[in-house]
Amino acid sequence: MSLFSRIRGLLQTSRLESDLDEELRTHLEMRAQDNRASGMAPDEARYDAHRRFGNVALAKEDAREADIVRWIEILLQNLRYAARTLRRNPGFASVAILTLALGIGANVATFSVVHAVLLNPLPFPHPEQLVRVFDDLRGSNTRDVGMSVPELWDLRDKSGVFQDISVAFPVDANLTGGEHPDRVEFLGTNTTYFTMLGVQAQLGRVYTAQDSVPGFTEGIVISDGFWHRMFGGDTNVLGKKIRLDGDLYTILGVLPPSFHHPGLSFGGTEIEVFAAAGFAENPFPNPPVRGFRILPGAVARLKPGIAIVQAQARLDALAAQLSREFPVDYPSAVNWGVRLVQVQDDLVGKVRTELLVLFGAVGCVLLIGCVNLANLLLARSASRQREVAIRQALGAARGRLIGQLLTESFLLASISGVVALLLVIGLKAWLLHLAPADLPRLNEVRISPGVLLFAFLISIGTGVIFGLAPALQTVRPSQATNLREGSRGSGTSKHQMRISRTLVISEIALSLVLLIGAGLLLRSFWHLIEVQPGFDPHGVVTAKMWLAVPNIPEEDNYRTTEKRAAFHQEVVRRVSAIPGVQLAAVGNSTSLPMNGQHFQLAFTIEGQAADSERAPVAEITSVTPAYFELLRTPLITGRMFTDADDSKMQLVVLVNQTLARKYWPKGNALGQHIQFPGRRSDGKPAPWVTIIGVVADTKSDGLDAATEPRIYRSMYQAPTYDAVVYLRTSGDPGTAGDTVRREVQSVDPTIPVFGVRTMEEVVAKYMEQRRFALELLGVFASVALLLASIGIYGVMAYTFSRRTNEIGIRMAMGAQPGDILKIALAEGAWTITFGLAAGFVGSLAVTRFLQTMLFDVKPADPVTFLAISALLAAIAMLACFVPALRASRVDPLRALRHE
Amino acid sequence: MAGPSKTDILQGTLTLLVLKTLARSPMHGYGITLHIQRVSNEILRVEEGSLYPALHRMEQDGWIRAEWGVSENGRRARYYELTAKGSKRLAEEEKGWQQLTQAVASVLQFV
Repeated sequence: MSLFSRIRGLLQTSRLESDLDEELRTHLEMRAQDNRASGMAPDEARYDAHRRFGNVALAKEDAREADIVRWIEILLQNLRYAARTLRRNPGFASVAILTLALGIGANVATFSVVHAVLLNPLPFPHPEQLVRVFDDLRGSNTRDVGMSVPELWDLRDKSGVFQDISVAFPVDANLTGGEHPDRVEFLGTNTTYFTMLGVQAQLGRVYTAQDSVPGFTEGIVISDGFWHRMFGGDTNVLGKKIRLDGDLYTILGVLPPSFHHPGLSFGGTEIEVFAAAGFAENPFPNPPVRGFRILPGAVARLKPGIAIVQAQARLDALAAQLSREFPVDYPSAVNWGVRLVQVQDDLVGKVRTELLVLFGAVGCVLLIGCVNLANLLLARSASRQREVAIRQALGAARGRLIGQLLTESFLLASISGVVALLLVIGLKAWLLHLAPADLPRLNEVRISPGVLLFAFLISIGTGVIFGLAPALQTVRPSQATNLREGSRGSGTSKHQMRISRTLVISEIALSLVLLIGAGLLLRSFWHLIEVQPGFDPHGVVTAKMWLAVPNIPEEDNYRTTEKRAAFHQEVVRRVSAIPGVQLAAVGNSTSLPMNGQHFQLAFTIEGQAADSERAPVAEITSVTPAYFELLRTPLITGRMFTDADDSKMQLVVLVNQTLARKYWPKGNALGQHIQFPGRRSDGKPAPWVTIIGVVADTKSDGLDAATEPRIYRSMYQAPTYDAVVYLRTSGDPGTAGDTVRREVQSVDPTIPVFGVRTMEEVVAKYMEQRRFALELLGVFASVALLLASIGIYGVMAYTFSRRTNEIGIRMAMGAQPGDILKIALAEGAWTITFGLAAGFVGSLAVTRFLQTMLFDVKPADPVTFLAISALLAAIAMLACFVPALRASRVDPLRALRHE
Repeated sequence: MAGPSKTDILQGTLTLLVLKTLARSPMHGYGITLHIQRVSNEILRVEEGSLYPALHRMEQDGWIRAEWGVSENGRRARYYELTAKGSKRLAEEEKGWQQLTQAVASVLQFV
């Protein structure tokens, strides 16, 4: 039919509708009149007219099939029909909507996180050009060792792959001048940082290349959060001066609220102050030293058209060239190199697997929900088969009926989709609160158009998935059998039972996959909890401090080793005196386990040639004497530090077992001498230090990470600006922070105390992400298990109730209840076995994606696989048992008469 | 139902019969059934349920056009009329029918 006539049909529909009615009426009347004329009684005449005509409605329907409006009419009619059907079954409708709304809601919520974190490009122009630049020592397999200023300049000027490169140097800074000293998250950058990212200030301006000076620029840029926290959003903030680490800065501009530094901050919270430096003058060494990797790394923007792989190749060549040029700074054994990582990968790479696994799991739950609904619909469709068969016999088209039945499932799915969306929007804040706080880009999660589109598609998809099989089943072409079956009311066709059973099998299989996934995570978690951390976190409170480092060394109150050592010593003395405190210690930031702080140094062992082998590298930590006793980390050999190990005495270190074993496998580490690189201020080489003891390993990088070789220095010989106060206390850890702050500030009122946590909180925080994944997957798996059990129960109960007649006959023939039970259970057992087998294979195929989330458990861990399968089998059999038992207890007489 | 002397119209021939009927003069639906029945000596019987869909389709295809008129006994009825396009179509259908009957006859006559 031509488009033209279709459109004409569209325009003329209402006219046609009445025309057609009238025309058919005329026809009937003419026939009836003729009939009467030939002598029929009036009633008979009309009846004959109708009989000859056949189905008036059908004739109309056929005549009008062609019009587009007809489609819309059919749709509306179907919707009315569907709404009527649902209203008549409010129980079914509400169960279906609840199941689907929860399923779709969970999917939409998860997708909104996946979308914001993984799919959404970073909010910068050409985000694909942004890379993180890391320096690695490939020879000693040490990554991210930091960058020296001359290396930064070489990358900027000689590499030829970057449009721009900027240091990203997160530090703590002390904000003084207010009532109390406060601590801010501070990021040192190059002046080109903001222009490179393509970010404008919302107020004032950002610093640019024109502001460049060798040291720190006076102008700083503050975050929107800091602007509100410190200045209440006052627009007169521009030009105001603030004192950070003793230095005076002027506020140039305020960043927009949407801006977040695409990288880490020092303490894990948002960066509040951005300052630019040339890194070539105080507080940085002047002139810069190539071997001194004071910068923690950089962010760069690749030139347009240069892929990261090409850039990496160019940088490898540059590194090789520099290593030849400066053989002293880059011994060949060290194999220095520069590594590029896409900023987005760097930010979210660690959580990608977890998010995708959770997304897959929540999708499985929805699928299981769909299968359950499909089964419900299928059971209902069986009872509707007679209706459908009659309608088909009366001439209803098959397509039309399928359309009608599908409309019903689409209506259900759409209502559920809307409910789900409302739920997600309403509960957004609460849901986000559930996610681990350090999930990157969490603040970017929102109900974006992409999320809405996903919600729409998943609702439609859901409707198709749970509606199609029942709809097709209901209108299978064998209406004749349906009519017969319906009339006898005995049973459901074999075909339908096969579909039901297939659905249950898939349900069991999906549940098994989810349960095994959750089981593997649970086992990992158990293993993790069983790991001995090498310290005892109970009853320990920690708090952080930062001794300000002014840009001008002369203004530094803690410039000398002695002054810093004296400060720490005084803090230990005062904190120890707090009532309830049994022990107090101070260490630098790397002394706090699972805190993500690293400080690595290469060292030389006396009597071993420096680059004959891989250069020894160790994590370096400074601690006061009570540190080990406080954390209950045992001494293996030698002695602990004492208060006497200060700068006047011979330099001594403790090493951990890993380091001792690695370099002195014969166990003779005690008394050996090592040397750190660099020179003393008087120009002499750094002195040899003596190993006075070996302490037990601690899980400093986390319970699931291997222990790195570690060297402990005495805090009184190598005092640091960054510090963590430890106290083992019987008092209330809640008030310990305030007490410590008071004591510290009575030593120096300008030093803020922040990040007060119990050691147990530190460990819990480290486990948070893992716990989150475990809990969520556990919830999903439990829901899946519940749904699957309901599904099995429902299908079995339905099967046996439809077979009551057969059971009655069997009993009449002499079958005992036990025999019936056996038959019924065997049937269930087969279904379950198939489901478990499919799930087993499926699990084997997908659990390897969990690899990175597992600890000490293989993805195909046989114990988990078998135990979980047994558990699921038991629960499924139980779900089967109840209806089977009921079937076997049927009264044979009643069963025979059943319908 | 349909006696031995009465035959339902072969599928596909309804269009031909309707077009041919309308070629004589415009006529309403009921008239078309009566005409075909009468002219065929009650042998051909138009299935009324399929007449109107067929008429509608032919109208959509532009072979016939419909107009409201008044019937012999003063009843408002929809009269169908052959269009130029319909005449052409009729010629084609007639030709096709001749070929078909001749072909069938040849087979039947072949001994």
